[in-house]
Amino acid sequence: MARIKTLLAEPLVLASIAILVLLAAGEFLSPGFARGDQVTRLLTVSAILGIVAAGQSLVVIGGREGIDLSVGVLISLGAFTAGNVMNGVNGAILPAVLTAGGVTFAIGIVNGLGVTLLRIPPLVMTLGMMGVVQGGLVVLSRGAPSGNAAPMLMGFVNQPLLLGLPGILFVWALIALAMWFLLRRTSFGYAVYAMGSNERAAALTGMPTGLLRTLLYGLSGLFAGLTGVCVIGYTGNSFISVGDQYVLPSIIAVVIGGVSLAGGAGNYFGVMLGAIALTLLQSVLTTLQLEFWGRQIIFGAVLLGLMLLYGRQTQLRV
Amino acid sequence: MPPALRAQGITKRFDAVVALSDGALTVERGEIHALLGANGCGKSTLCKIIAGTVLRDGGSVQVDGVPLEPKRPADAEAAGIALFYQELSLVPQLTVAENIFLGHEPRTRAGFVDRRKLEDDAGRLLGPFQAVAGSGLDLHTPVARLAPDQRQIVEILKVLARRPRLIIFDEATAALDRRQVEFFFRMLRELKAQGIAMIFISHRLDEVFEICDRITVMRNGATVATYPAAETDVNRVVHAMVGAMAEHLHPPQVERPANEQPRLVVDRARGRRLRDVSLTLRPGEILGLGGLQGQGQSALLRGLFGADPLDSGRVNLDGAPLRLRKPADAVRHGIAYVSGDRGRDAALHGRSIFENIAAASFIRERRVLVWPGRLAERFRQAAAALNTKYAGLEAPIGSLSGGNQQKIFIARWLATRPAVLLLDDPTKGIDLAAKADFFDLVQRLAAEGASILFYSSEDAELLGLCNRILVFNGGAIAAELSGGTMTALHLTRAAYGDAA
Repeated sequence: MARIKTLLAEPLVLASIAILVLLAAGEFLSPGFARGDQVTRLLTVSAILGIVAAGQSLVVIGGREGIDLSVGVLISLGAFTAGNVMNGVNGAILPAVLTAGGVTFAIGIVNGLGVTLLRIPPLVMTLGMMGVVQGGLVVLSRGAPSGNAAPMLMGFVNQPLLLGLPGILFVWALIALAMWFLLRRTSFGYAVYAMGSNERAAALTGMPTGLLRTLLYGLSGLFAGLTGVCVIGYTGNSFISVGDQYVLPSIIAVVIGGVSLAGGAGNYFGVMLGAIALTLLQSVLTTLQLEFWGRQIIFGAVLLGLMLLYGRQTQLRV
Repeated sequence: MPPALRAQGITKRFDAVVALSDGALTVERGEIHALLGANGCGKSTLCKIIAGTVLRDGGSVQVDGVPLEPKRPADAEAAGIALFYQELSLVPQLTVAENIFLGHEPRTRAGFVDRRKLEDDAGRLLGPFQAVAGSGLDLHTPVARLAPDQRQIVEILKVLARRPRLIIFDEATAALDRRQVEFFFRMLRELKAQGIAMIFISHRLDEVFEICDRITVMRNGATVATYPAAETDVNRVVHAMVGAMAEHLHPPQVERPANEQPRLVVDRARGRRLRDVSLTLRPGEILGLGGLQGQGQSALLRGLFGADPLDSGRVNLDGAPLRLRKPADAVRHGIAYVSGDRGRDAALHGRSIFENIAAASFIRERRVLVWPGRLAERFRQAAAALNTKYAGLEAPIGSLSGGNQQKIFIARWLATRPAVLLLDDPTKGIDLAAKADFFDLVQRLAAEGASILFYSSEDAELLGLCNRILVFNGGAIAAELSGGTMTALHLTRAAYGDAA
């Protein structure tokens, strides 16, 4: 019994169980929910959330109350930038991706500098950045939707590419591989965990903690920008608040996936399961015809519930 | 008259681990009784059982002849048993009197705090200590404004306010310098005169012999002997504590030729807590940094590591000037830093032993890619050099005892093959067996040509291990001891300056 209890507190097990239960619930509520093409659809949406959550997880693992609240507006900015650069032209996809990623990476670096050099708490720094970028977007776009996805990008996100799966899922798999490699096969990754676990001790081994942390926020910005490109590929065009809905889910996915909000623990595989579980939950709630506000309440409750569940574990951690 | 405390045949298991197989301890009234033993010998568990924070499996405890069966700490407290905390138990914003009665303030009939009675009672408690306290300790002063010595008095009064018959002092002097320790002992003698029984746990044997009446030694979960302090000596006690380990404690020193080029030359180093410190360290030399705590020894080591960069002064390594602006500068030149405050300065909590060892090697070797399989063997060897006991490199660091954790943090630096080791009170709070392994290693490294700067808050360690000792006072080097002057007497005299 005790063993089952500890197993249930294991984030990966919990996320996997949640995924199966939600699939079954969806199928029960609306037959066809768990059909192959529907699952592909769900995975596509999960991938979009999963990519932004990749950046979020890096910032959280890096510790010192790491969190990036600006990912929402950076997704919007990424979508806006990409949409305006490519403007429906297939040949401009690559420049669009590079521009969107470059701009959001740079803004992420500014977040990182604020957190490291000026020692502004991440919550405040990224919240402030959120306001700045949001305002900037209104000015740039004059409040109207602008920019269009190139047809090829839309196909890549929405249409089967290989084995009946859309290209974005392969991109997600590549990102997963890259995240694993970064965290487990480079000294950068080891330093991120070390810093998240005990920044002072990490610095006393010679690790350049300030530089590392700045880069983490840059990477979070980059992943948000790439997510923006995916979002415009998914919907075809962008409006300036398109990314807002991803802020809370990106944090919840990270927590479901077993990344400790205290830093220094967790991995991206868990976060991927978290993104899938959360997307499923969203989908089931939509099937139940729950309004946006209802979903927000449930999301918030899930986050708080998880904190309660995992909070006891972190105390046991020595 | 029954003794203040009689504990007999105490047993305790935590799952499969036997923490206590036969714990016994008898403390008379008005006695200061030392409880000694290597870490993990069961002395902490025994104390926790007496204080009611851990329930015993078997055996008996009597307080003043009355059986004690505590179900919770409050039961032991009601029986007159108190634990003394050295740190962090005072609220800085509250006054001395308020702190003393924190949590059990006298009440008026209406249920409000009876301030007059609070201050009267506090004044009465302070009475016997007024002579020790010297310049009047005002009950209305916020604790934040007190000197460290005065805070100690408040800590003790706080314990006394609960009218204890037995006080347990667990490593109560660990954070104190020599002058504060003497002050602390004056208070203990006053408590003794009041007939209070005391259990005194300390890693500092000289203090034990100074203050204690009797000494009980534990080993492997059992009480092995009780000696009157006046009828035994350090050697016998240490033998009882560690058994066969004792002869390894201070192995003979290896002499090196005197004509070698110096490894590290420091010229007029200045910093926030350093005044013109100059020194020369040769290959294979163990140079001790002595003196009272906080006289600049740590500041020098951290300065040479780039952790708290020096304000001015020159540092040469093997004849070449060295710029030390951040730890990476030092690490890449083969300089290692081991702190005694491992929880804060070294432990990557929640991470594996592998990661805890690997951290410094990555920086030293400017490594980008990490193939754990290829590094594991090297890290295992580094850990093996210290007889570290661990389940495997993937086990979390928290699964190890304090002494073994410290060995891992030393292995972290061994894996970088350092030319200079900066040891900042590295044996703080680790057991004697682990210390013996550590001293062994330091000697071996020195014999292989490593240069070592060794600061210890224990004089015996410095005298037993070092070729020379630089004695610090007020951020400057007050004396250099070597050869015939390497004695406790010279060390103490230099540490205290003209006062001794």
